[in-house]
Amino acid sequence: MRELVLTQPGSVFAGPSERESESCRARREFEERLAECGPLAYRVAYGVLRHTADAEDVAQEALLKAYRNFGRLREPKRFRGWLVRIAFRMALDRWRSVKRREKRETQWVAPEQKASGPTVEELAVSSEFQERLERAMGELPEKSRLVLLLAGIQGYTLEEVSEMLGIPMGTVKSRLFFARKQLAEKLR
Amino acid sequence: MSCEGYRRRLIDALASGEGSLTGDVAAHLRMCAECKKFYEAQVHLFGAIDSGVRAMVNETVPGSLLAGVHARIEEVRAPRLVWRPAWSVVALAATVLVVSLSFVRRSGPLRDASLTKASAAAAIRTETVPFVATPTKAASRAVNPRRRPRNKPETRIDRPTEVPEVIVLAEEGEAFVRFVARIRVDPQKAVALTRPAPLQQDLPVEIALLQIEKLKVKLLEPTTEE
Repeated sequence: MRELVLTQPGSVFAGPSERESESCRARREFEERLAECGPLAYRVAYGVLRHTADAEDVAQEALLKAYRNFGRLREPKRFRGWLVRIAFRMALDRWRSVKRREKRETQWVAPEQKASGPTVEELAVSSEFQERLERAMGELPEKSRLVLLLAGIQGYTLEEVSEMLGIPMGTVKSRLFFARKQLAEKLR
Repeated sequence: MSCEGYRRRLIDALASGEGSLTGDVAAHLRMCAECKKFYEAQVHLFGAIDSGVRAMVNETVPGSLLAGVHARIEEVRAPRLVWRPAWSVVALAATVLVVSLSFVRRSGPLRDASLTKASAAAAIRTETVPFVATPTKAASRAVNPRRRPRNKPETRIDRPTEVPEVIVLAEEGEAFVRFVARIRVDPQKAVALTRPAPLQQDLPVEIALLQIEKLKVKLLEPTTEE
C-alpha cells in the first residue's frame, strides 16, 4: 500500500534530512550571532547587576534562551535587540531578587573594585559616587535605563540603539535626556 | 529671565548632550558669576555620570562566557538520561483512573437511590415468586428466616436497606397481607396464629440399610499362610 502524507496547502513536506539541514543552518546562524552579540548581552547584564559572576550567568542564560527560541524569530535582523531585551529583563529579575535577599539578610554586598586606578582617597570618593550612581540608576524607569546603558556601551551610536530597540531616534534621545536629567537631580 | 530660569535651561542643554551654549544663555553666563559656577559644577556632574555609566557597561567580557554558553547548549542538545515521563501516557492513565473512579462512585449510590425510590415495590427478579409484600420490621423479623435454603431456585433480590420485604407464594399473598395488617392491631393473636416449624425438619435424615435377598454375605475365613 502506498503511504500518503497530508500537508498544509502551500507548505512543502520536509523530510528528516531537510529538517536536519535546517536545524544545522539555524545553529550555524546562531553561532555567528553568538560571537557578535554575546559580549553585548554580558555588558547589558553587568550594567544592571555590577557583579561579574552574576552578569556572566545571566548572559549565558539569556543566550541559551535565545538559542532555544531562535527558530521562532521571524526577522533575524532583530536578533540583537531581542537578545538585549532578554538579557536586560533577566538581569533586572536577578537584580531584584538580589536586592530582596540583601534586604532580608540586611547585609551589604559591596560591588567589585578594580585593582588598578587612582589613589585611595580618589577611589573612596569615586566608589562613593559610583554607589550613588548605581542606586540612582536603579530608580530609573526600565526603558530609560536600557537606553542609557546601551548608549554608554562603546561602539554603539544612538542610531544603532534606535535600530536595536526598534524605536525612533527621537524616542531614544528623549529617553536618554530624561534619564540623564533624573540622574543629575538625584546626584546633585 | 531670572537666574533660576537660566539654570533650568543650562541643565536641559547638558542633559540633552549639547556641547556648546549659544544665544542668551551664553550671554547670561558671561555676566553672572554665580550661574557660571553652577554651570561648571553641572558640567562636572554630567561628565561624572557619563563616565560612571560607561564604566558600568564597558566591563571586560570574561573569556569563559562563550565557552559556558556552548557548554549549556550542548547540555540542552544531549539526550537526557534521567527518566522523563511521557505526558501523554500519564494523562491517559489519569483519565482512565478518573473515569473508572467516577463510575465506581456513581454506580454505588445510584443503585441504592433507584432502589430507595422503588422501595414500595422492592425489586425482585424471579420466575417462581410473583408476589411481593412489604410488612413491618417486626413482622418480617418474625416470619422471614434469616437463612435461605440452598436448594431453592435461584432468586436474586436487590433489597433496600431500610424497608424489609418478605417473599411468599402467589396464592398466599393476600392472606399474608391480612396477617401483616392484623399484627399491628393484635400482635398476640397473630403470634398465636403462627405455628413454629416442625422440629423433625432439623433432624438428620436416616438412611435405611440396603437389603438384597439373593445375596449372601459370608465372612472370609483365615487362610493357612496367614
